[in-house]
Amino acid sequence: MIRLESVSKVYKGDVTALRDASLNIDKGEFVFLVGASGSGKSTFIRLLNREETPTTGKIWVAGKDVGALSGSKVPFLRRNIGCVFQDFKLLPSKTVAENVAFSLEVIGRPRSVIRTQVPAILELVGLGDKAERFPNELSGGEQQRVSVARAFVNRPLILLADEPTGNLDPATSVGIMRLLERINKTGTTVVMATHDRSIVDTMRRRVIELEHGDIIRDQSRGVYN
Amino acid sequence: MAMNLDYAVRETWTNLRRNIVISIASVLCVTVSLSLVGVALMARQGVERATQRWQDGVEFIVFVAPDASSDQIDAVGSSLEANPLVERVTYFDQQQAYEEFSEMFADSPDMVETVTPDILPPSYRVVPTSTDLASVEELVQQYEVQPGVIQVARSTEAIVAIKDVSDFLTGWALGVALVLLVVAVLIILTTIQLAIFTRRREIEVMRLVGASKAFIRVPFMAEGLVQGLVGALLAIGALRIFQPVFENSLPSSDQLVLFSEFTFSGVDMLWTYLLLGGVGAGIGTAAAAIAVSWFLDA
Ligand SMILES: Nc1ncnc2c1ncn2[C@@H]1O[C@H](COP(=O)(O)OP(=O)(O)OP(=O)(O)O)[C@@H](O)[C@H]1O
Ligand SMILES: [Mg+2]
Repeated sequence: MIRLESVSKVYKGDVTALRDASLNIDKGEFVFLVGASGSGKSTFIRLLNREETPTTGKIWVAGKDVGALSGSKVPFLRRNIGCVFQDFKLLPSKTVAENVAFSLEVIGRPRSVIRTQVPAILELVGLGDKAERFPNELSGGEQQRVSVARAFVNRPLILLADEPTGNLDPATSVGIMRLLERINKTGTTVVMATHDRSIVDTMRRRVIELEHGDIIRDQSRGVYN
Repeated sequence: MAMNLDYAVRETWTNLRRNIVISIASVLCVTVSLSLVGVALMARQGVERATQRWQDGVEFIVFVAPDASSDQIDAVGSSLEANPLVERVTYFDQQQAYEEFSEMFADSPDMVETVTPDILPPSYRVVPTSTDLASVEELVQQYEVQPGVIQVARSTEAIVAIKDVSDFLTGWALGVALVLLVVAVLIILTTIQLAIFTRRREIEVMRLVGASKAFIRVPFMAEGLVQGLVGALLAIGALRIFQPVFENSLPSSDQLVLFSEFTFSGVDMLWTYLLLGGVGAGIGTAAAAIAVSWFLDA
């Protein structure tokens, strides 16, 4: 599903955020990316959805050579990838349902699909009764659920999550992790960058640890460190 | 690409409403510049029609009485052709005179109806070898007294002056209009940049979930298009109001021999309107396209 071959990313100013990384992530895997601040976790994730291009090396995502993808093809890659962020990235002027519907609307999904999919996904994330609320009327955990709903409503092959629990208290974080686990069970590959030790330690999934851009550990059923 | 029209219309409308003040500024700037273009084009068309007979170096016209004998008509003609001071003579018979008359008054069919070819004077259009005022004057005087001639009309200073003034003014008007058009493009560009900035979070989400560039672009382009087009429509409205004022302020049919009436043909005006609409729509869309490209490709 995801394959990296000797991938390096050097930002301008000679910052090497990822150095000679090679690995495979299979369909349906759940992978934690861990490492100190600045070790290259976000860079790794941004390379996968083509927000960045690799300086050297090749990346395949869902069968496509991401680095070689022409600009006009990038949107189609991203329709296969859901993204969740620490800061939710919800649109404050839209209701919960509208935020989710927006992501289908702008990729041209027919209205009939939107009408059935949006309530279903909100039910799945446990927000069926809050569809008409605005983001600022929700708790952080609820907002992150909306963001997960938006990322998953198009049934992507891959879900990328960059510190999705970074702004949440431990109890709320557990709720979000349950949700990501459920999504993973449907066959969706999940890659999640995190600093949250207890989550990694309790879930015992594959752990990839980065340090100054190097992969220093790749462990199945791993722990935080 | 699948895009529902509903979405584009809604987004465009929201943008326009949100930035209403600067949108109005864009529209008005387009209106003013296109109005100027329109006035300049109208003035040129009007002057051209009014001085239609005086094209290609024709300095004077010898009108022969409609009831003159064909001997008299031929005598005037051969005299002109034999004259060393005359370079070229064109004969306009009554039928041609009628056609010209019908064309000049195409917009006043009732006027054309009152006229038949046999009451119009045939004429000789004369291009003299020298346009020197004195020598032309001499020729005019010579032919005024020929038997059968009812009048000799000169391309007077009035006509020359009208042409000059019109060329000068339309030149300036078009120049100023061009500058204003550039200003209009810049204002629309800024308006769209503002709209993009207001919606940058939405655009970020759109890119993240895989909206195509075209999809992101369309509402903004539509916004530019609407601004340019509304500006053009207002300009066309202004010209329609202005047209009769323009017509009344200029020489009337009293000087029928010298001028045809200063009117505008419907066909010319239609083309002018289409041009203005096209330019308005074009600059609006183009300015928006530039603004979006700057943002998306940055
Ligand atoms: N756009 C950029 N331009 C230049 N340097 C960058 C850019 N983005 C990240 N970097 C640098 O690359 C390195 C890795 O950054 P990255 O954001 O991937 O780290 P991270 O592991 O996600 O850190 P954190 O845990 O704090 O989120 C850092 O040194 C950072 O300063
Ligand atoms: Mg990061």
